[in-house]
Amino acid sequence: MELTHRTSNDTDIIELSGRFDAYEVPTVTQWFEDNTSAKYVVVNLSGVSFIDSSGLASLVKALKRCRQNKGDLYLSNLQQAVRIIFELTRLDKAFQIFDDEASALEAITSQ
Amino acid sequence: MRIAIVSTFPPGKGSLNEYAFHFVNHLRQKSEVSEIYILADELPAGESYPTEDIVAGQAPLFFRTCWKFGAGDNALRIRNAVQEIQPDVVLQNIQFATFADQRIPGALGLLSPWLVKSDRVVSTVLLHNIMETVDLNKAGFGGNPIIEAVTRLAGNLFTRLILRADLVAVTIPKYVEILTEKYNAEHVVLGPHGAFEEIPEPDFKLPDGPMQIMTFGKFGTYKKIEALIEAFEILQNELDTPLELVIAGSDSPNTPGYIDGVRETYKHIKNIRYTGYVAEEDVPRIFQESAVVVFPYNSTTGSSGVLHQAGSYGRAVVLPDLGDLAELIEEEGYQGEYFEPDDPETMAEAIKKFLVNEDYRNEVGLRNYTAAAGLPMYEVVDWYLLHFERLLNQKKAITSPMKPQEVN
Repeated sequence: MELTHRTSNDTDIIELSGRFDAYEVPTVTQWFEDNTSAKYVVVNLSGVSFIDSSGLASLVKALKRCRQNKGDLYLSNLQQAVRIIFELTRLDKAFQIFDDEASALEAITSQ
Repeated sequence: MRIAIVSTFPPGKGSLNEYAFHFVNHLRQKSEVSEIYILADELPAGESYPTEDIVAGQAPLFFRTCWKFGAGDNALRIRNAVQEIQPDVVLQNIQFATFADQRIPGALGLLSPWLVKSDRVVSTVLLHNIMETVDLNKAGFGGNPIIEAVTRLAGNLFTRLILRADLVAVTIPKYVEILTEKYNAEHVVLGPHGAFEEIPEPDFKLPDGPMQIMTFGKFGTYKKIEALIEAFEILQNELDTPLELVIAGSDSPNTPGYIDGVRETYKHIKNIRYTGYVAEEDVPRIFQESAVVVFPYNSTTGSSGVLHQAGSYGRAVVLPDLGDLAELIEEEGYQGEYFEPDDPETMAEAIKKFLVNEDYRNEVGLRNYTAAAGLPMYEVVDWYLLHFERLLNQKKAITSPMKPQEVN
């Protein structure tokens, strides 16, 4: 899995692509370990074709950390297969999910 | 957050006690949790729960015995305990036969999530089985077909009552689908079971001596070793590396004498070791010494326990390309190389990929280890806490008085 990072108005944008499973989780966890003070983060999942429970768990952990920092973690561009997993676990209710990155950034700006 | 958990709990021996023990041990370590009350069942005479369990840096546990297996008034007693404690959230760790093995008291106990919710406490359930998949005989509700039909009907009714809870978590995706579709329930969530213990990270270093190709199981029915031995012969001819084939296991009870027959047929092929029955204490060594684990099956019903074992020891695997097996195991996070069932040529080719490329072998081994290790329980409890927080916020939003409107 590939992780690319950029920023937009103090918001961290992480773009992931590939399979997001237990084997790939350390890539994401490491980013959050290296950026413990990350507050507002948008995770763009447009390139993620598969996510398993470990992938979800790493996002839950990241969400908790952002909220502890008085920020939030938003998700965008979910492929259908990934969206189904979020619905199955009802984590779609716990995360704020946007159709595209621009909408997620707009939601952060309007806070 | 103050959480009450309705469950069996050690030293109680009722089913789900071990699950509750591990779940609570992780839950109490989370900073969001301030107190946990275990609403446990009565123990046999002479046994008792501690009143409380205090550990520095963790949420204290308080024990309250408030229901009894087989009793008809469990739901009321649980409700009374909840009214007294006034927790923020109640989680019931249950299955259909948690409260009794008799139909009526068993069913009456299942009213408790609904009763708790009616007192405006956030009521959640972790339901370990669903009526649609329960074997009624094994669950103690069996009998004749008419009684079973009535029981299922009653089961549907009580499933609807359980679904009156604010949230119902199940551990299998199929259960979510059934409950969502059949009962039109939108608050059923998948909560992965979670691994109780962490599996130590394996050592990928192989022992000195020939590289071992290993197969493990009981052979003779759908696990046949002839093609594997022929594949091994091909590999010995093709590669310079010293190799050893390890046939670990014995005959299937349905095919006595199978291994002896194969051994006789292929006695001209060198470097094959037949271990016979593998004692439990020798299993780790057998896996750890293998460069690759082969599954010479010609039919299968799905992912196997041996695959999980191979994964937990970080081994690369070679599997038959049967039906949707590849898709199934990849969904579970495992990876392997595939061969045509019973075909020595493609089997040898698949094994070779791991023998000649150490990096690839170790990468697949690590991937299989992460798949076998599963999701640790301490991460699973985070999912529950996230749902609890969401439900508490919803409740707060509903019960908060509306802000007075400014009048112009």
